[in-house]
This record gives sequence, C-alpha cells and structure tokens, in this order.
Amino acid sequence: MTNSSTYDVVVIGGGHNGLAAAATLAKKGKSVCVIEKSDAMGGMARNVAMGEGVSAPQIAHLLHNLNPKVAKELGLGDLLKGSPLPTTSLSADGNHVVVEGAMVRFADGTTHPDVNAYAKQTAQLRKFAGLLGQLSTKSPPKLDGGLTSMAALGELAGLAKLGLNVKMMGKKDMREFLRVVLTNVYDLVLDEMPDGPLAGMICADAVRGNYVGPRSPGTVFNLMYRLGTGGEVRMPKGGMGAVARAFEAAATKAGCDLRTGSGVARVNVEADKVTGIVLEDGTEIATRAVLSSAAPMATMKMAGIEHFDVEAARRIKNMRCKGTVAKLNLVLKSAPQIEGLSAAQMAGRLLIAPSAETVERSFNPVKYNELPTAPVVEAVIPTLSDPELASGGRHILSAVIQHVPHTPTGGWNDANRQQVIDTVVAQLEAHMPGLSSTIEEAQLLTPSDIEDLTGAPGGHWHHAEMGVDQILTVRPVNGLAHYRFAVGGLYLCGAAAHPGGDVTGVPGRNSAMQLLKDGVLS
Amino acid sequence: MTKAATKQAVPIGVIPTPLYDRMEAISTAKSWANWAGFISPLVLDTVEFEYFAIRNQSTLFDICPMHKYRIKGPDALKVVNRLVTRDVSKLRDGRVGYAMWCDEEGMLIDDGTVFRYSETEFMLCCQETMYSWLLDTAWGFDAEIIDDSHTVAGVSLQGPTTFSLLKDAGLDAVEDMKPFDLREIEPGLWVSRTGFTGDLGYELWTAWNDIGALWDRLWAAGGHWGLRAIGAEALNMVRIEAGFIAAGVDFQPVHAAMRLNRGRSPLELGFDKLVHFEKGHFNGRRALLKQQQDGVRYHLAKIDIGGFKPADGSLIYHRKKREVGHVTSGIWSPTMKQNIALAELKAPYGKAITDDLWVEIYVSEEGQWDKRIVPLTFVDKPFFQNARSRATPPNPF
Ligand SMILES: Cc1cc2nc3c(=O)[nH]c(=O)nc-3n(C[C@H](O)[C@H](O)[C@H](O)COP(=O)(O)OP(=O)(O)OC[C@H]3O[C@@H](n4cnc5c(N)ncnc54)[C@H](O)[C@@H]3O)c2cc1C
Repeated sequence: MTNSSTYDVVVIGGGHNGLAAAATLAKKGKSVCVIEKSDAMGGMARNVAMGEGVSAPQIAHLLHNLNPKVAKELGLGDLLKGSPLPTTSLSADGNHVVVEGAMVRFADGTTHPDVNAYAKQTAQLRKFAGLLGQLSTKSPPKLDGGLTSMAALGELAGLAKLGLNVKMMGKKDMREFLRVVLTNVYDLVLDEMPDGPLAGMICADAVRGNYVGPRSPGTVFNLMYRLGTGGEVRMPKGGMGAVARAFEAAATKAGCDLRTGSGVARVNVEADKVTGIVLEDGTEIATRAVLSSAAPMATMKMAGIEHFDVEAARRIKNMRCKGTVAKLNLVLKSAPQIEGLSAAQMAGRLLIAPSAETVERSFNPVKYNELPTAPVVEAVIPTLSDPELASGGRHILSAVIQHVPHTPTGGWNDANRQQVIDTVVAQLEAHMPGLSSTIEEAQLLTPSDIEDLTGAPGGHWHHAEMGVDQILTVRPVNGLAHYRFAVGGLYLCGAAAHPGGDVTGVPGRNSAMQLLKDGVLS
Repeated sequence: MTKAATKQAVPIGVIPTPLYDRMEAISTAKSWANWAGFISPLVLDTVEFEYFAIRNQSTLFDICPMHKYRIKGPDALKVVNRLVTRDVSKLRDGRVGYAMWCDEEGMLIDDGTVFRYSETEFMLCCQETMYSWLLDTAWGFDAEIIDDSHTVAGVSLQGPTTFSLLKDAGLDAVEDMKPFDLREIEPGLWVSRTGFTGDLGYELWTAWNDIGALWDRLWAAGGHWGLRAIGAEALNMVRIEAGFIAAGVDFQPVHAAMRLNRGRSPLELGFDKLVHFEKGHFNGRRALLKQQQDGVRYHLAKIDIGGFKPADGSLIYHRKKREVGHVTSGIWSPTMKQNIALAELKAPYGKAITDDLWVEIYVSEEGQWDKRIVPLTFVDKPFFQNARSRATPPNPF
C-alpha cells in the first residue's frame, strides 16, 4: 500500500454533485481530490458513446433544475443561456398539447381551453416552489428541540416552522400551501381541469423519478421540487454531457485533482474523526474530511457501521430507494417525424402521458414487479438541437421510461429487456410512423443496470425516494440531515442529501459550505 | 438447553415459572406480582423475616423471569461494546460486569449484567425485553442473538451463610470465586458471584427444566443455614441499602417512556465511571460526550433523611421553598437504622448545591395527614457495605 498523498478533502464520486462540492472547496483554497470509481466523471449526467460518432446522454438527458446560485458560483452560467424547450404532450387523436412557460396551445397554434387554469395553478405552485427553493440552498433548517417524529412533520404546522417565510407569502397563500403540500397531484390538477394530455403532463412531471403514481401523497411536493428553479427545460449545446463536462471543468479550474478508475473502498476513522481513505486498488490517501456522493448505506459501510448509532444504522437500512425509471437510447438512421409538430416542437420535450388516469395506471405493474405495458415516457431528440452529437446525419432518441421495476419477475433476461424496448418503441411509433425501421441501435438501462453503473441504490433517480419521510429535515434520514454523517469530518454531498436529486449542484455545494462552517479544516 | 417442542396453546395471563409450584406450596402471604409475564412473589411469608434472612442467613429468589440474551459469534465482543457504555474488552473471560446501554441521545435503555464466557460469547441479563434492539445492534456484524429468556433459568442465593450452604450442597468449588466471577461449576450449571443485595451471594443458572431439581438440592442443604425463599419486597429494601438503581423506579427505560424528556443518561444517574469514552464509538457516545461538556440536567443521589418516616415519592425543596427534586426510592433501613433514599435532583442541586435541602414527607395516621419537613444529607458510598460480601474465600459461618 502506498500513502500517495494528503488532501484537505477527498470527495467520493465524480457525479456533478461531487464535482460541485470539490469546486466550491477548492475555490476557498482547500486542496481537494475527487475519486471516481468508473472511468469518467459526470455520474448520471455523463454522455456515452454509442458506436462510432455518436454521443448520447447515458442516463439524465435534460437540464431543468440547475440551481442559478450554483451556476453563478461555479461559473456555469452559459448552461442556462439559450431558450428553454417546449414540452409537447402527445395525444392519440393528434391534438397534441404544447406548453411553453405559462402558455398552453394545441400544436396547430389554437388556444387550449384550460390555459388560464394552468397558468394560475402553475404560477401559484412556482411561488410555493420558489420558497422551497430558497430552503434548498441552505442546510435544512433546524427545529428547536429537534424534529423527533414523523408525526411532527406530518402535522402541517411543522412545515410552517421550516423557516418558510410566511410574510413573503401572506396568510391566504400560506394556508393554501399547507393545504396542498402533502397532498396528491391527481386531485390538485383534476380540481382545476378535465383529464387529458395537459393533466397527464403535470402528473407525469410530478411522479418522475419516484416510486409513486399521481394519486400518491407527496406528489404535489415533488412537483414543487421540480419547479424549484422555474421548471424550464433546457438542452445545452453538447447535450447533458456538456453539463457534466462544465462541472468537471469548474473543478479542474479551481485546482482539484480528479482520479478515475478505482473507487473508494474504505474511509479510515480514528478517535471519531476521518483520517483518510483507501481505494479499491489499495492506494491510501490521507485527508481531514471526506464528502461522499455515494449513497448513505454505501458510505456508512465504507466508514464502518460500528461508528454509527444503532438508530442511524436502522434508519439508513430502512430507507426507501426503489428505482422505477429506465433509460432507452435509440440511434436512428434518420430524424423521426410527428405529424403536425414544428421543428422546434420536435426538438423539444415529448411526453407520452395522455391523461392523469394513464399516469396512475402506469404505476400499477411496477408494484408487482411486472413489465410495463403502457409506461409514461419522456423523450427528446438531442441531435435536433445539436447535430454534432451523431455523425452521418443520424439521430439519437433518448427516452426516460417511468415505472419499470428494478427486478421484474424472471429477472432481466434478454426477452424481458427486448419486451420493454418493443413496448416503448411501439408507443413512440404510434406517433412517429416508421420509427422502428430506422433504428440502428437500441440501448436499454434498467434500474438494476443504473444501480450497477452508478452505485445509486435501486438505481434511484434521487438516490433515495423523495417522500415526506425523506425530505428536508429528515433527508436522508432523521438525525443525519445536515450533511454531517455521524463521524467527525464525514459528510454526504450527493443526491441522497438535502434537497435531493436532479442535476442541481445543490447538495454538493451545500455540503461543502457546511464543512467550511463547521470548521473541520481550520 | 432446548425447550420441549410440544405444541401448546399460548397461555393467557401470567404464567408460572418452573419454580412456582414450590413457592406456592410454602407461601403464606399469597402475594404475587406480574414480572415480565410470570407469576413472581412479592412476599412469601413476611417482609421482615425475608429481609432479615437476606442480611443474616440465606435466601432464594426466583429470577427465571429475567430476560437473558446470548450474543454469539466472531463479532460478539464488537456488538456488546457497541451496545453498552463500558469497555467490555477489559472484562476478562469468566467475569460478569454491571453495564448500562443507551439510545442515540445517550438516554438509558436499561441496565443489567454482561456475562463474558469468551470473546465470542456473552450473555446479557436484564429487566426489559431487548431482542429487537439487540438484533438492530448486531445488524451488519457477524454475531447471532439468541433469546434465552425461556431456556435459561436462574435462582439468586443471597446472604452471609450462602457459601456454607453451597458447600453442604456439594458445590464447594465456588470457594475461590471472587465477586463477579463466572464459572461452570458442574456440567450445565453456571454460577456467578453476583446479586442485587450488596451482600455475599451467588446466582445459579441452568436449563429451564433443571431449575426445579437445583432448587430442591439447595433447599435440602439449606435448613441448617436458615434458608428462606423470598419475594421482591424484601429484595427491594436491600437493593436500596446497597445503592442499586431499579428500572422503572429510579430511571424510566427510555424505550418504554411515552413522554418527551423522561429519559436519563448514565451521567445523570451518577455512573460516569461506567461510561468509557475512550473505547471507541458506542451507542449514544456523541450525545453523552456533548452532555458531559454542556452539563447534565439531573443528579441521582444517595441521601440520608432526618426522622424515620419512609420518604418514597417525597418532594425535595431548596431553602424549604424551591422544588428541586424528588425521592425515587426510600425506606427505613432496619440494618443501618437510617432513613435512606435515592433521590433525583435538578442540577446543580445534588452536586454544586448540597446545603439547605429539605424533604417534605406526608404521613397518614389513620386517615389524618400530616406534613413533615426534614433535612437531608448526601451519602457517597452505598448505605450498606460489608467486608463479608467481598471476602474470598468467603468466611464460613
Ligand atoms: C434514468 C434517469 C434519468 C434521469 N434524468 C434526469 C434528467 O433528465 N434531468 C435531471 O436533472 N436529472 C435526471 N436524473 C437524476 C439525476 O441524474 C441525478 O439525481 C443526479 O445526476 C445525481 O447526481 P450525483 O452527483 O448526486 O450522483 P451521481 O450522478 O449518481 O454520481 C455519483 C458518482 O459516484 C460514483 N461512486 C459511487 N460509489 C463510489 C465509490 N465507492 N468510490 C468512488 N466513486 C463512487 C459513481 O460512479 C457516480 O459517478 C435522472 C436519473 C435517472 C436514473
């Protein structure tokens, strides 16, 4: 074993959060090393080569929640330039619904009857989301005496205490916020409009990434989380991979050392303090602090369960993290067409979520480990925004498939994998005639594959379910909510920490700030 | 030590221990209580006889209802050290240690005795049910938790003549056992020199189905040594004299407490010496360290109270005005001829402030209530201490 070097901080995991944490600390003059297990940085936000000349978004494909504060601090402002993409919610009858900001139209430009209801509701949710968003760039607020029970959080009054600025909202809004925040999106939406592609879109956005259907409690919170920075969807030049590369460049520019190819196997602890790490290849690195973007369970095991209180270990063991999202990338010989959509709309976000009802039904099979028959799909064709992503005039279709079991009955054999591909291609083909004949290559990542690739438990989008029992002061678990992870100098900095997943940069940045505040390095 | 595998209906209500028939046959008081679901005697004859038998003769108390858990496997030491606040790696094989264990906030879950057979096998003996907590504690470690509560039976043999009695019963091999020693004295019969009386005494452990025969064997040797079977009331008197705390009385086991802030830490109960911060992490360590820095909220103390009226439950006042605590256990000690008690005081009373403290005792004389304000003084050592309890070999009688 070689004791190769010493750093102020070692960051476990080179996903965008690990990189954000590292860059933040290095900018404050700390010596930082990022250790990434796989052979490239970026985590779930990286691009992957699919044959010669094709660079596809391996897992995440759209930027919708990058925190402006993080972007500013790390000099990533360019990612937020360029206009947001429209979203088209596809309808079997061809009356596709297009949403751009607060505007809702049919694809042919005619007014949608629910435009006012949508605008009003979204404006209010954005307002609420903005307040939650303010919370997100801070460590989750502490409650005096501790938030000791779920019951206390369940009490709506509990949320009011979470540092939400009541004055900013006014009494009426506050009451409305408390009324809806823990409820389900299905009721919220169908109170305001009839079921259809618009309601389906809102519901799909509220459930994406989590083990829920629109009738599950907490889905309104999830929708607000998604709208935390406004909810606009972007595809920067170079696709999602460019986002990962921008985070990587920020870390490198700030002076971080980045290492790939061997993960962290152990975190050394002496006298209740982190002293270093050991890589899978045996290399030892001394450090005073470790920020881990690996999952809580994996991080606890690296440091040793004996350093955690029994209650903490039990909570970590019982965390909910069932991944339900699969990723399908298609390489196409030519660009697909949808009748009636403009070029800009084709290049935007395409949703198969024709009604709230179908979104709820999409959730059913996964409960029984069955393969989906009509899953909710979010598709994008990045090559329409940036043709350089695929050579020879080819195109990439990237599809996020909501509600695929982590392990279906019978396991992920070739037949099961093909069935998921066929199901999704058939759903798309219903709107894109001839699609299947243009497919050059199809690559499916199941939740189980995503777990193997990234270490995210269950392959979960957020590394841990975003549920009322696992957010804010109880994220990832009660008692470990302020990034500090039991042992002196050990912190969580990934999606499992407050405020949660998506490409936001917030958990990484907050964790770094908390470390500095705690004075571990001074 | 396997239980008979016959299928029976689950008994309803309290159930007899394997010693119940023997105790029932000699009970004149017919005073029984529910101890962990078992029928357990409060008094078999009279409290006075039983109390004096503990201090002058030999007594037998049925401890079958105690909860007993075996922790076994390569990581057994790690698991026990993760559980309790004291450093069990310092406990030698064949020794027993009094121990406390806490939740993540450093509040006492329960206290009890840890029997160390070897680095890979321990038994935990305690009042509260602890199976699921032990499973949680052992999760991720290579150790098995076995609930031996209904397979290992025990009797507590206490009093100055117990060594002589054991010799007569053919168990003179206990002769060189020191306090807290543990030994398999005959195949399947384990003896520990432990007890809850502060006196000379032993606890004898054997298979559930063999405990009756053991009782008979001790009983047969006991006549000459004044052996009496006793109940919990007499035992409660001597444990207060010895300064031992009782779960549910002097502290509230935190897992059973429903209300906030009912828990107490080992530091608040005065057991700083049993909290070994330097041994590495154990449950509640960080919270206890913080409490040690920030200061405790309470002090449990041994007190000597004026007068002779037992003060159990009485409130304690500073300058006869400000309420600062209460008596958790109090008796008139017939041996010490003192009005003794354990009391909980709000810090800094009981440590930094020990003067001008008063106990308010209410006494009822056939329906007429009278109030007495009596002074208290603090006592450092156990009220009852006797060289015979520690002498090895024990003095013959
Ligand atoms: C199918 C799918 C689609 C998604 N689509 C979107 C989307 O379109 N837009 C969006 O905003 N979000 C999306 N998300 C969510 C988003 O990608 C994640 O929440 C976010 O990328 C998490 O970032 P992170 O840095 O916290 O963790 P990750 O990106 O998971 O990075 C963690 C890194 O740690 C490494 N690692 C793990 N263990 C070790 C170890 N022991 N030693 C060293 N390294 C280790 C892993 O290899 C990995 O690179 C999607 C998620 C999924 C599953």
